[in-house]
Amino acid sequence: MKVSAKNIALCGVLSALALGLSVLESFFPLSLLIPLPGVKLGLANIVTLFALYALGSRPALAILLTRCVLGSLFAGNASALLFSLLGGLASMGVMIALRRWDKFSVFGVSLGGAAAHNIGQIAAAVIVLNSTAVLSYLPLLLLVSLFTGTLTGLLVSLLLRAAERLPLR
Amino acid sequence: MPTRSSRPKYRPTLRDTLIVAAIVALGLIVAALFYAKATRGGSVVVTVSVAGEVVEHTPVSQFDGEHVYTGNGYTLTVSAHDGQICVSHSDCDGQDCVHTGEIRRIGQSIVCLPAQIVIRLESASPGDADVIVG
Repeated sequence: MKVSAKNIALCGVLSALALGLSVLESFFPLSLLIPLPGVKLGLANIVTLFALYALGSRPALAILLTRCVLGSLFAGNASALLFSLLGGLASMGVMIALRRWDKFSVFGVSLGGAAAHNIGQIAAAVIVLNSTAVLSYLPLLLLVSLFTGTLTGLLVSLLLRAAERLPLR
Repeated sequence: MPTRSSRPKYRPTLRDTLIVAAIVALGLIVAALFYAKATRGGSVVVTVSVAGEVVEHTPVSQFDGEHVYTGNGYTLTVSAHDGQICVSHSDCDGQDCVHTGEIRRIGQSIVCLPAQIVIRLESASPGDADVIVG
């Protein structure tokens, strides 16, 4: 993807969208149903995955980093940055690898990213709490990631089909 | 050699089940590590740590009543009765610790991330012979 004003603006729009979705999902407290620390719908991952397929890995990574940094600034919570970064970077790394391997569908890449996101956040919790007790939440979080990953994959698949004719790159 | 395809696969493929299987397998392995160990009639210890530092390590039989812990500016009230432990009150925003409910088995824990407090049930003697319970 070449660096142009149009592409920079597009990344800005997607970053704002990802940030907005992060705030929006706080209004749907999944933790009331599943009381696990860090369990979220992962709506912002829709933008990240869409950007990975539509724009490439570097723009997607830039959008992810922008969303993580701004999100923690808006939340006013430094530890939120660690959780966002570890989860987001783990997810992005796995999704980029699966995408390049080209053996899996959008759903498969999304599932891998969702699971990696939860693993990254649990890793952040272990660091913050200096305790491995939070690892006991990982099995349930991985189970939840199967649903959230499938949902994200479905939405991104529909978006990519609709955006096929748009000159995004 | 991994290559990039120009067109994504929009429909789920059979290979995606490999990822599902890997996720399920990882979950089962971690669950086995944490929940396979249990003792019947053995003694259980409750361990409370704040910011990684153990502040409480007491047999659960001696832990009845209410206990207040403070961490990172937040206050938790832990209630214990007949070997069942829960966070009855917390002033954190998410309330995940309160929503976790009661824990009673070895390996179970309650975590409050904002307060950096972990309440965990452990075996009193990790070297004892264990029984795997379903």
